[in-house]
Amino acid sequence: MSPHGVVTELKRGSTELLILALLEEQPRHGYEIARLIDERSDGEITFHVASLYPTLYRLEDKGLLDGRWVERAGQRRRRYYRITAQGRKALASQRNAWDSFFLALNRVARVRPT
Amino acid sequence: MDWKDEVRTAFGPRAVDDDVVEELAQHASLACQRAMADAADPREAERHVRLQIAQWAADPAFVGRRRPRGSPLPPLPESSSHLAGLFQEFRHACRLLWRQPGYSAIAVLTIALGIGATTALFSLAYGVLFKPLPWPHADRIARLYETRQGATNRFGAIMTSAPYVAWRDRPSTIEGLAAWSPDRVMLDAGGDPSRIRIAAATSSLFPLLGVAPVLGTPFTENDESLEDQPPVVLSYGLWQERFGGSRDVIGRSVRLDRKPYRIAAVMPRAFAFPDDDTQAWVPLRVQFIKGGLSIFSAIARLKPGVTPVQAASEGTARARSGPDPGVVVMAVFGSRASAQITAVPFLEAQTAGVRPAILVFLVAVGLLLVTAVANVASIQLARGTARRREMAIRAAIGAGGWRLVRQSLVENAVVGLAGGVGGLFLAFLLHRAMPSFLPPTFPRLNDVGIDLLVAAFALAISLVASLACGALPALQARRVKVVESLAEDGLAPTGVGSRLRSSRARALIITAQLAIACVLLVGASLLTRSFFSMLTADRGYDPTNVLTATLSLPERPFTGAQFGDLVTALLERVKAVPGFTHVALTSALPLTPGESLASFPVRSWQTGATVQAQAASRVVSPDYFAAVGVRLAQGRPFGADDTRTSKPVVIVNRAFARKYLGARPVGVKLWDDTPERQGPEVIGVIEDVRHRSVTDAPAPEIYRTFAQWQGTAVPLTLAVRTLGNPSSYAQTLRALVRQHDASISVDAITPMETLLRSSLSQPRLYSVLAGTLATLALVIAAVGLFGVLGYAVGQRTREIGVRTALGARPGDIAALVLWQGLAMAGGGLVLGLLLSFAAAKSLSTFLYGVTVYDPVSYIVVPLVLLAAAAVACAVPARRAARVDPLRALRG
Repeated sequence: MSPHGVVTELKRGSTELLILALLEEQPRHGYEIARLIDERSDGEITFHVASLYPTLYRLEDKGLLDGRWVERAGQRRRRYYRITAQGRKALASQRNAWDSFFLALNRVARVRPT
Repeated sequence: MDWKDEVRTAFGPRAVDDDVVEELAQHASLACQRAMADAADPREAERHVRLQIAQWAADPAFVGRRRPRGSPLPPLPESSSHLAGLFQEFRHACRLLWRQPGYSAIAVLTIALGIGATTALFSLAYGVLFKPLPWPHADRIARLYETRQGATNRFGAIMTSAPYVAWRDRPSTIEGLAAWSPDRVMLDAGGDPSRIRIAAATSSLFPLLGVAPVLGTPFTENDESLEDQPPVVLSYGLWQERFGGSRDVIGRSVRLDRKPYRIAAVMPRAFAFPDDDTQAWVPLRVQFIKGGLSIFSAIARLKPGVTPVQAASEGTARARSGPDPGVVVMAVFGSRASAQITAVPFLEAQTAGVRPAILVFLVAVGLLLVTAVANVASIQLARGTARRREMAIRAAIGAGGWRLVRQSLVENAVVGLAGGVGGLFLAFLLHRAMPSFLPPTFPRLNDVGIDLLVAAFALAISLVASLACGALPALQARRVKVVESLAEDGLAPTGVGSRLRSSRARALIITAQLAIACVLLVGASLLTRSFFSMLTADRGYDPTNVLTATLSLPERPFTGAQFGDLVTALLERVKAVPGFTHVALTSALPLTPGESLASFPVRSWQTGATVQAQAASRVVSPDYFAAVGVRLAQGRPFGADDTRTSKPVVIVNRAFARKYLGARPVGVKLWDDTPERQGPEVIGVIEDVRHRSVTDAPAPEIYRTFAQWQGTAVPLTLAVRTLGNPSSYAQTLRALVRQHDASISVDAITPMETLLRSSLSQPRLYSVLAGTLATLALVIAAVGLFGVLGYAVGQRTREIGVRTALGARPGDIAALVLWQGLAMAGGGLVLGLLLSFAAAKSLSTFLYGVTVYDPVSYIVVPLVLLAAAAVACAVPARRAARVDPLRALRG
């Protein structure tokens, strides 16, 4: 597989992990999630909006997230997502899975996450 | 743009939940705003977002989805970790400053300058005026002053032996009294002799101050009358410097002015009394002598709960009920009225001479700090206006008003704290330089330092400066209007939206800065003109090309004749040097200590009755007046015919003649002949001489010639008028005196002009300090004006383009900008002059030869200010005149 293909595969599998991790810090709305992923990864990971919201909805259906409208004084209401207890468990499980994956990669091909 | 409609249209007839539509529409709106903020073409940004919407519409995940209708949640709390948010903003602020080195350098340096100057002066003010004295219960120690009604106050703050002894023997409100008298002596401790400053002090001094020596025992009351090897107490510094800090120094013998003393004790390092220069203490005996008195300085330790006024009342009562010293009082006070004792807290008395100046300069540096902070606030306002789009985006994606305010405050806090660190460093450098520009007589210099309190002060004013710099931009951030800010294209003429408020605020800031600069400039001008008035004032003598040398005579008793012969022989030897036009000896030269006061009966020219006159008495050689350039107003100087056997003669000054002798003093006998002594005849009248400060009123003086002097040996100062630079003759003079008589030592050889400059060190310091502060304030204000106008030109580029296209010439455009700048300068000038009028009275005590409303100052300062403003306006005006109308209109 070409390097570009490897990267694409990795990115697809990490979408849920990224969203859960960002929501673990604090509740956020969809645009903020996309922007943060872009900023914190220095532009390496860019979501297409087309995939962000379906992923959010899927996680919501699974009960890992809870989305609600929030109104603040002087602002339009926004839909904020927050991680549920089940979501935290899933996040921890995914983190372990990624850790194991990278350990294995390193043993075989000497690739380390930084 | 209604993105909801766009989303619904994209999905077409397919059923899409309203909540999904709303959520996607919000995302589309934010994405479009972000794209436009990144300077994308609005149409391109919208096209991009429509593509995204089309992708949504193609995804079946959205269609038919029904969102769970949970009840809306209460407003989310602010960031679950406030500290994390704060830390983020701190990091963001640091990154921002790092990426904008030009702005950062200007802002931090400007704040550092203001904070550094303020901190340095605070450290001076605290160390000199407020830091407690290092003695136990120092607030109960009071300085005592004796005076009498009608006194001439020639000796300053003194007390005499009669009231001192009367009070010492019967104290009620005080725990004790101590007295001291400063002197300069030649210390011979083996090795090279050196001149040191000492204090002769009563044995009660050290116990009264509550300070114990680190070695040995200070002198006791019995030591005060000891003639053979009296004790001497050394300062810590002298002990280290001359005796290597050796612990076996106690009991060693040293010579002070050739007289043997025994080292009795060494004082602690921190001990300094009465000033930092005193290096040793010897015993002083204060006793009442009928018909005589001694003069010294005195302090008392008040009993707990006693006020200085109460103690002074007791002192006065004791003085008036004590023994009368007699007519000798006239010699000291010029009055025989009853004694009056005043008590002033010691710290207040010690710092009285510099307190008003320090407080005035504290205000001045405070104004400089305000100017510096205003400059940075003005820059921040301009940056805030330029960053309104960024703020709008942050607001659009959910940052509340408080988050935006907090971001602005954190950014300014970073600038303020960085400036504070820089300012503290600058204050440290200024503190190191202080001893070189403060007069040597400045009190408590060793107590001035950069300690924890001063550092805390610097931190506090850094934070206040940060808040002040950030207040306006924070308000600006809080009021950001999302739609308006994101819709503006940045090239609209001034007067639109928040730019108008920001421009007005900046104009007001500049006007205030220029007003402050005007006030400081007026103050500096007044002090500088006053200093030059003092420098050029007629003191009654001419110090140009005059070399002075203070002499120490051998320690042996002289008769009057022997003393006269010594003087004559020395003069003959020195006169022979080529290049010396006039050579003279005197007991007290202007600007040097050694003046003595005499009191004698004189027949008053007004009433004919005999009155007791008081006059400063000097003994001089015949060529004295020519040597120091004193002008003879009437009669003749001393001559070769005025000898020991001829009739006694004196010369008086105008003040003496005016007070006691009338319009024709020459030929008058001061008193009638008696069998014991002849009354001296006045042979000449000289113009009044101001021996110390030019601000002193001239006092009566009487001069005698050495040839007829019958008293004991007096201190001698040589005054030599030279051809050319007097300093070049210093070595010759020293060698000559040594060759003539090796027992006569030459202590200090100094040109008289140097003595004069040293005597003016305080007014010169004030002038230089005020000038520096004023210049800094003017530069900061001018830089601010330059920045404001440069920004305004940038904002008005399109307007300038329109004007040029409609026929305006470059000169007209430049004039427009110049007028804007000079209008601000004019406003600042008017305000500054009004404030100067109001505040000028505070400088009246520092001025000589100029009034607080000196017209020259009030004319020159506006010209300087307007010139600086014109220079600041020149570059922006030129830039505006060169705007290309085509490019300006195209945007």
